Order: sequence, then C-alpha cells, then structure tokens
Amino acid sequence: MQRLLNRPQDYVDEMLDGIYLAHPTQVKFINEDKRCLVSSKTKEGKVGIITGGGSGHLPLFLGYVGEGLLDGCCIGGVFQSPSSMQILDVTKEVNRGAGVLYLYGNYGGDIMNFDMAKDMAEMESIEVRQVVAGDDVASSPKGSENKRRGVAGIFYAFKIAGAAAESMLPLAEVERLAQKASDHVRSMGVALTPCTIPELGKANFSISDGEMDLGMGIHGEPGIKVDKLKTADEIVDEILSHILPDLPYSKGDEVSVLVNGLGATPKEELYIVFRRVANVLAEKGISLYNSYVGEFATSMDMAGMSISLLKLDSELKNYLSMPCSTPFFLQNQI
Amino acid sequence: MNVVTRKQLVDFVCEASRLMEEKKEYLIELDAAMGDGDLGLTMSAGFGKASEFVLSSEETDLGKLLMQAGMVFARTVPSTMGTLIASAFLKAGKGALGKTELTVDGLACFAQDFVCGIMERGKAQRGNRTIVDSLAPAADALQKAAKEGLSVAECCKRAMEGAAKGVEDTKSMLPAFGRAVYFGEKALGRPDQGALVGYYLYQALSSSAQE
Repeated sequence: MQRLLNRPQDYVDEMLDGIYLAHPTQVKFINEDKRCLVSSKTKEGKVGIITGGGSGHLPLFLGYVGEGLLDGCCIGGVFQSPSSMQILDVTKEVNRGAGVLYLYGNYGGDIMNFDMAKDMAEMESIEVRQVVAGDDVASSPKGSENKRRGVAGIFYAFKIAGAAAESMLPLAEVERLAQKASDHVRSMGVALTPCTIPELGKANFSISDGEMDLGMGIHGEPGIKVDKLKTADEIVDEILSHILPDLPYSKGDEVSVLVNGLGATPKEELYIVFRRVANVLAEKGISLYNSYVGEFATSMDMAGMSISLLKLDSELKNYLSMPCSTPFFLQNQI
Repeated sequence: MNVVTRKQLVDFVCEASRLMEEKKEYLIELDAAMGDGDLGLTMSAGFGKASEFVLSSEETDLGKLLMQAGMVFARTVPSTMGTLIASAFLKAGKGALGKTELTVDGLACFAQDFVCGIMERGKAQRGNRTIVDSLAPAADALQKAAKEGLSVAECCKRAMEGAAKGVEDTKSMLPAFGRAVYFGEKALGRPDQGALVGYYLYQALSSSAQE
C-alpha cells in the first residue's frame, strides 16, 4: 500500500492541522491540544454532546462536530482511545449550563476513559449522561446486544441526538432520544482487504485475494465467516439476512438506510450495493424514507462496506429530517 | 495515636514516587517483554507529579487531597494504567471525604476502595494477572489485621506481605488483559509488572506508617 504521509508518527496531528486550516470558522481546539476539537457554534443553554475515539475512521468521529450535530470530540491515535483528561477538558468547554451527553461506540478503552471523565466532571458539578452505541449485529448475537461493537450506525444516534439538542431539549430528553436511535439501528459490514496502521506500516491481519471477511469490525476484528468473494447482490442479501430478522424490520416498517464505504471502495460500488438494498426492502414491503450513501465510518484503507438500517417512527423522523452542517456533513431540511 | 495522619499520607505518596523512580528500569524491562515498555516511565512520572502536588497542597480534607492527586495523576499519565491508578485515588478519596486522619478501619476502607476503583474502571477480576492481584490480597490482609485490632504500622506491614504474596502468585497466572494476552504462556514464571506496581505502593504505605 502506497500512502501520502510525512513521518508516520505525525500522521494524526498533521491530519488535524489540515482540518483546522481548511475549516477555520467551524471548528477549533482548546488547551493548545489539537486532539480536543470543539465546535465554534455551540449555543448558550444547549445540551453539549461529545464523542470521541481513535483516529483512522474519518469522518467518524470529529467530522460530526458542528451545527445541529455534536459540540466536541476527543481524538486518540489511530485506533486508540483519547484520554479521560482530554474528555474532561472538552466537557468543561462545551458545557453551556444544560449538561453534557457522551455518545460513543462500545469499545473497552473508550468506555474506561469516558467513565473516568464523567466521574471527574461530576466532581466539578457538571451533569453528564452517557449513551454507548453498539449496532454491529455480527459482533455479538441477539440477546447480548450490549456486547455489540459500535460501527457506522452511530451516525444515526449522532444525527438524532444532535437535532434534539439543537431543539433545546433538556439533557434527559437528548439522552433518551440518543438511546432510542441507537436501539433502532442495526448494521453489518464486509471487508475485502485489511487496513494498515501508519505507525506499523503494514496490516496486522490478512484477507486473502479472492476472499472476504463477512462481519469484520472497523479495526479488523474478525467477523462471522471468511468466504470466497461473491457478487455484490449476493453479499447484500447475506448481510440483510442477518440485519432484517435482528430488530426485526418487517413489512410496513419505514426505514432510513445508510451504505457506508470503509475507505478504499469506490462510490460506484456503494451505489451498486444500495440498489440491491432498496430492491430487497421493496420486495419485503419495508418503505424507504431516505438514504445516505458514502463514507461515514471508515477503517483507513480497508476496502468493503457496511449497511445500516434505522427503523423510524414519527419522533425519530422529525429529528432525522432536521438540517445540520459540519465540515464533513451537510444536510438540508428533508 | 493509632491513626494515619495527613503527613503520613503525604509521605506515602512521596515514598511511592521515590520507589517508582528507583524501580523504573526494572519495570521498563518487565513491561517491554509483555507490553508497551512504558510502565516504568509512566509510574515514575505519575507519582512524581502526584507527590509534587501533595507536598504543595494545603488541602486538609484527606478525601479531597487524594481525589485531587488522582486528577493530577490522570493528567500526567493518559495511558490505561494511568487512568486506572487515578481511578483508585478517586474512589479511595471519595470514601475518605471529610476526614483529616484515617483510623485503622478507615485505612482498611481506603485499601478496599483503592482496589475497587481499579476493578470497576478496568473490569478486571482477581486472577486475571493484573495490578488487582496484589492490591486485592493486600486489602484483604489489611482488613483482617484491622479486625484483629492491630496497630496501623502492623496492619500496613501485613498488607505489604499480602501484596508480596499476590505478586508471587501472578507468576502462575495467564494474562487476560491488554497486550500481554498475546504472550499467553510465555508470561508464566515472571511476576506481573502491574501487580508489582501494587506491591511497591504497599511498600511505600508500610514504610510511611512505621514512623
């Protein structure tokens, strides 16, 4: 894999330099720590929402900081958690008197550091609630949903919670809606190639030519099976055969669909995937409210994609449809 | 008086700092064989800053003093082990809020809270070959000694012996946490470096309690 970089150890910080230079009016950093990113637009009296996690997943996590979405993000090294102190500092910065919601993916290191930051923030009399997203059906069976990893479906929890906070709802309501969105999402993906961590310089796992890893996680966590690479339609059918019965999504339901590229898959292929998803949903009598096709949670240079479905009701639809604007994601009122 | 004074608690943190500095190279060596290799550096840096803090602080509430020391530790050492030690100080501090000295029972609570803070944060159990495997037997020994009505100095000595035994026991434990997991059976025969850090802490506590 040939890459564009300078010194591998500068990978994350130089990426951040570029982001601040490109989007100076929308985001900034605090405490002279580039890895503590906050929105320039957080309103007074609004609930602050913070996310965080390792680098290597753009536009996750920091790409969702902006108007109508999140207020702060703590950034770790590639696939590494940020520290509890960074989270505490961003918490203090985005607290506008209405408390702060931590909304992040279900990974041990992140949980430990967000938990710690919550304890410290409460010592400073800032009210903090947490919602931990885990939407990957391949990572743990039905019945033990709380062990599932967070993948691209967290986008929906960001979107719903962000719109709820922007609507000036109180912390308990923003928390409830983030949890509700998270509870209504299921995702699963397929990896066609491994990903490389810049400082290692090579992949620390492999996928053979002509094979795919079905259900692989966004850090290369093993999926549910390694198989010969099949056609796009066959892969979609297999992924949907895991997602649809899990919630379940049934005839008459209304959904939003997100097809996410993992980093090295062309948008052309994502639309080939989306085409099949839309056809299958139509066959099953599940109606499609709206769709997102592109990169939402990547894994460096991994090829492959994931599919996420959000089951909607009028409340979720209301917040999903609201506008938002960040350096990485723009949506007009639907 | 059979209590732990503020001065003794400050001495404990300073002695821990001195010990971590003294053992730095040994910890680095042990950790490099099983993990990142930075444990010696992070522990000496973390306790170094924590001791500077407690020496300069005028806080008389021991709970607050411990919690603030934990915050200093977390800021100095952003790694997993740093967060775990900081969590221990926060939890132990919470239990000691409002106190200006610790009775023998208060000290036993401190020891239990200290290891609980780490177990809750890191989700490790006894027998997973971590720092818990020295801190937990130390806390048990301290509690038992406190129930027997022994002096603070004797209780701390028993706790240190409990920790030492705990470190010894890790030599036959398989790693279940962190990068060490990848080393599996290769870890056998060596003490766990995290458990050793726990032992040094009780060595420091015991030495400050003898005065």
